[in-house]
Amino acid sequence: MAVAALEQEILILRKRRQLYSLIGLLLVVAVLVSGFSKSNEMNSGGFLQGLSKFFDYPGEIVAEAWQAGPAFFGLILTFLPAMLETLNIAAVATLLGGAMAVVLAMASTRNVDSWGPLIPVVRRIMDITRAFPELIIALFLIFVLGSSPVPAMIAVAVHTAGALGKLFSEVNENIDRKPIEGLSACGASWLQRIRYAVMPQVAPNYLSYFLLRLEINVRASAILGFVGAGGIGQELRRTIGWGQGAGDETAAIFVLLFCTIMMIDQVSSYLRGKLVGSGRAH
Amino acid sequence: MIEFQNVTKTFGSRTAVNKVSFNIDRPQMVGIIGRSGAGKSTLLRMINRLTPATSGEILFEGRDILRLKGGMMRRWQRDCAMVFQQFNLVPRLDVATNVMLGRLNGHGTLKSLFNIFSASDVSDALEALDRLGIVQEATKRAEELSGGQQQRVAIARALMQNPHMILADEPIASLDPMNAKIVMDALREIHERDNKVVICNLHTLDTARSYCDRVIGMRDGFIVFDGKPEELTTSAAREIYGADESFNEAATSTAIDAGHSGAKESAGAMTPAAAAV
Amino acid sequence: MAVDTLNEPVFDRGTVFRNVRRRAWLTIGAPLAIVLYLTYTWFAFGVPELLAKAQPERAVILATDSVAYKVHVTKLLRRDIMEVAIEGERRATYAQEDLPGWVEVDGTNAIVDLGDGYEVTITGKVMEFTVPDYGTIKVTATNSGVTTELPPGPVPEWLKDDPRKFDARPTLDRRVQVTKTKIEVHNYFGGWENFWFSFQSELHGMPFSQLWAIALSNERIDPAQSNMSLIMHDFLGNPDWQHGEVFTALFETIMMAVLGTLIAAFVGLPLAFLAARNFTPSLLLRFGTRRLFDFLRGIDMLIWSLIFIRAFGLGPLTGALAIAFTDTGTLGKLFSEALENIDNKQVEGVRATGASQTQRYRFGVIPQILPVFVSQVLYYLESNTRSATVIGALGAGGIGLMLVETMKTSRDWENTSYIIILTILVVIMMDQASGWLRRKLIEGK
Repeated sequence: MAVAALEQEILILRKRRQLYSLIGLLLVVAVLVSGFSKSNEMNSGGFLQGLSKFFDYPGEIVAEAWQAGPAFFGLILTFLPAMLETLNIAAVATLLGGAMAVVLAMASTRNVDSWGPLIPVVRRIMDITRAFPELIIALFLIFVLGSSPVPAMIAVAVHTAGALGKLFSEVNENIDRKPIEGLSACGASWLQRIRYAVMPQVAPNYLSYFLLRLEINVRASAILGFVGAGGIGQELRRTIGWGQGAGDETAAIFVLLFCTIMMIDQVSSYLRGKLVGSGRAH
Repeated sequence: MIEFQNVTKTFGSRTAVNKVSFNIDRPQMVGIIGRSGAGKSTLLRMINRLTPATSGEILFEGRDILRLKGGMMRRWQRDCAMVFQQFNLVPRLDVATNVMLGRLNGHGTLKSLFNIFSASDVSDALEALDRLGIVQEATKRAEELSGGQQQRVAIARALMQNPHMILADEPIASLDPMNAKIVMDALREIHERDNKVVICNLHTLDTARSYCDRVIGMRDGFIVFDGKPEELTTSAAREIYGADESFNEAATSTAIDAGHSGAKESAGAMTPAAAAV
Repeated sequence: MAVDTLNEPVFDRGTVFRNVRRRAWLTIGAPLAIVLYLTYTWFAFGVPELLAKAQPERAVILATDSVAYKVHVTKLLRRDIMEVAIEGERRATYAQEDLPGWVEVDGTNAIVDLGDGYEVTITGKVMEFTVPDYGTIKVTATNSGVTTELPPGPVPEWLKDDPRKFDARPTLDRRVQVTKTKIEVHNYFGGWENFWFSFQSELHGMPFSQLWAIALSNERIDPAQSNMSLIMHDFLGNPDWQHGEVFTALFETIMMAVLGTLIAAFVGLPLAFLAARNFTPSLLLRFGTRRLFDFLRGIDMLIWSLIFIRAFGLGPLTGALAIAFTDTGTLGKLFSEALENIDNKQVEGVRATGASQTQRYRFGVIPQILPVFVSQVLYYLESNTRSATVIGALGAGGIGLMLVETMKTSRDWENTSYIIILTILVVIMMDQASGWLRRKLIEGK
C-alpha cells in the first residue's frame, strides 16, 4: 500500500514539474514572440523591409573597398595607430581594474582572513561598480574632461574592477586554507600570507579571468570610441559621418577591427587553455 | 619554561579544553595522547595562537603569551614552530622557498612582497633540508613530493624559524609506518641535539612510549594522565581512551618498529576512537 | 634516510641560489614593466594636457544642478515685464496671483527676499542687493551697459563687476545678474521641481494623500476620463521630466537585451550541436559552424549595430538583432564546449533502456547542459542590459540615445541625473533578478 502511495506521489510530482517546465517554456516563447512583434512595431524601419536592405550597406562599402584595389591594404595600415589606441585603452583599463579587483577580492573573502566588518561593504561596492554601465561613466567624464581616451579607460576600468572582483573572490572562496594556516603559524603577517599562501594558489585562475576580461574590454573600448572616447571607434564614427564615398575607409576599419578581435580571441583562449590546463593538473 | 594555568577553550556550549594546568620546566619531548576530540589539537593550537583561548594563562619565561597582540604575537608564533598533520605547505611553490617561508616573520613587507630572500636564508634552508635528508628535492614543487617528504619539508621550515619549541599536531597521522618513523626520528633528533621542547600530539600509545620523555593523556578536555611513559599502564590507557575491559592496546598502535611494519601497516590509519568502540 | 637518495642525480646547490635570484628579479621586473607601460600610456593618452584642459567646474554644475533647481526672477527691461519662472522656462512660469512667498511684485517692481538677510530690490532700471557683512550694492542698467556703486572697501571675489555685465554670487544658492537688457535673480532650492506634475496640470503641488483621495473619488476633474487615468496621463506627460518617454526608452532598452539574448540562445543551442565533436561526425559541417561562430563574434556588436541601424532604422529591434548576432556566436561556442564535455555514461545509460535518438537527447544530454545553458543565458542577459545602453547611444535608440541627447543639450542636468539613476537602477535590478533566477533554477534543484 505504502509503496503504491509513494509511486503515486512521485508521479504527481513529476507531472507537476513537467507542467512547470512547460509553463516556463511557454512564457519564454510568449516573450519572444510578443517582444518581437512589439519591437517590430516600435522600430522605425520594419523587419521585412529591413531584411531586403540588410545587404545594401555592407554591399556598398565592399564595392567601394573593391574599387580602391590594392590601396585598400594601405588604408588598413593608416588606421593602425587608432587601433593601437583602442588596445591601449583596453589594456590599461584591464590592468588598473584588475589591480583594483585583486584588492577588492582580498578584502571581501572570509576564506583569506579579510577584515570582517569590511566584507559586506566591499561586496556592495563591487555590486555597484559592476552594475554601472560603462556608457554613463564615459559620457560623464567626456563632458568634464573633454574627448579623449581617458574617460573610456576609466569607465571600463571601473566596471572591470567590479566584475573581476566578484570572480576573483569566488576563486578565493575555493582555495585550500592549509597553506594559510601553515604560514600563520610561522608568524607571517596578513600581506605575507596573501603573497605566499594565497597568490600561488589563485594566480592561474586570476590570469585566466584577466585575459577573458581583456578580450571583452577591447570590444568595449572600441564601442565607447564611437561616443567620443578616442581610438578606432572615433575613426569609425568619422568615416561613417562622411557618408557616401568613404565606404572604403569604413571597410578598412571593419576589417582591422575584425582581425584584431579574432587575433586577441585566439591568443587569449590558447593562453587560458594552458593556464587552466596546468591548474587542473593538481 | 612554559606553564599552563587553567587554560580553557569553549566552542559555543562545548568545552574542548577544560582548565588545563601543567608545567614544562626543562627541554622535554612531551607526547599528548587521547582519542580524537579530546582537545589535544585545540590545546596545541592555543599555544601557537592559531586558536584563541577562552580563559587561563600560558606563561613562557614569565610572560603570558595568550595576551600578546599584533607583531608581538607573530614574533611568538615564529618562536614556537608548528608542524601539522596535513603538512600545510604551499603546494605550488618549490621546496626551498617553502622552507624559507619560515623566515617571513623577520622580513619587511616590501622585501617579502617582491620575493627577495638573502643568500644566508637560502643556505640555511639548504642546511635544514640537508639535516632532514631531502636537500636533493630542493628545486621540486612541494606538491610533487610524497607525504613523508612533505612532512620533512615542514619540519625543515620549522627549523628555519629558530624556535624555542616545536609543536607537532598529529605529525604522523597521515603517513605510512616507514615515513612515520623517519619523521618521529627527526623530531627526536631535534629535541636531543638542539635541546628544544617538542610537544607532539599522538594518537597511538606505542609511539608516545618509544619517543617521549613525558606523556600527557587527555580525555574530554581534561588532563587525566601526566607522567613518564613507563607509568602508562593498560589501566591508565583505558582511562585515557575511555574504553572498557575489551580494550586492546595493539589496536591503537601504529607499527613504527620496522620489524612489524609488514603485518600492521593497515592499523596505522585506525583511530583510537574507532578502536575503542 | 639515505636509502631513497641513492639513485638520485648529484644535487647542485648553486641551482637553488640561481632559482631564488631569478624569481626575485622576475617578481620585481613584472611590476616594473607594467609601470613602464603605464607611463608610456600616460603620455600616449595625453593625460598632462587633458588635466590642464579639464573643466572640473562642469562636474560641480552637474552635481549641484542634479540635486537642486533655481527659480529665476527676471525683469526684461526692453519690454518692461517681470517674470518668475522655474529655471527661467516659459512653460514653468508662475502666475501673477500665485507667486511664491519670498517674492513680492508690485507692477514691474519687485522685492526678492533671498533669506538670511540677503535681499534684492528692483525698481525701474535700478537693482539694489543687500548682502549681510558687506553692504548694499546698487546697480543701474543703462543703454550701453551697467553702472555699479559698491560699498567702500576691497571688492570681494564672488563679484564680477564688468561694465557690460554685473554678476554676483555671494553664496552657492544666490545669484544676481544685470545686463543692459535684463535684471535676473536666481534663488536655488534643493530637490527636483515639478517632478510629479507640471504647472499646467491641475494636480500640480497636491500632496499624496489628496491625490490618493482624488484617485478613489468618483467626481471627475476632467469629465473625459477617470481620475486615475488623468493622474497617469498628467504624470507620464509631464513636459519637464518626460516620464512617459523615459519609461518607453527604458522599456526599449530592456526589450533589446531580453529579445537579443533569447534569440541568441535559441539559435545558438541547435547550432552548438552541429559544432560539437561528439554530436556531429562531419568534419566539414563542424568546421563550418565553428567558423560561423567565430565570424559572428569577431564582427563585434559595434559593427553589427551600425549595419542594422542602416537597415532597420531606430528602435529596439535593431538593438536586439545586433545583440542576437554577436551572442549567437558567443553562446553557441560556449554551448558547444559544454556539449563536448558532457558525461557520455549518462547518454549510454539512457541508450541501454532502448531509448530513441530524441529520447536520448531529451534525457541523456539536455539535463546535463541545462545548468550551463540557463546560467550563461542569464549572465548574458544581465551584461546585455548594459550593452543595450551603449548600442542605443550608437543610434539604435532607447535610453542610451536619450542620455546622449539630454547631455548634448547640457541644460537640464536634473533630467540627465534622472535618466542616469533610472538606468543604473534597471541594470542593478536585472543583475539581481538574473542572480536570483540562477540560484533558484540551478542551486534550488
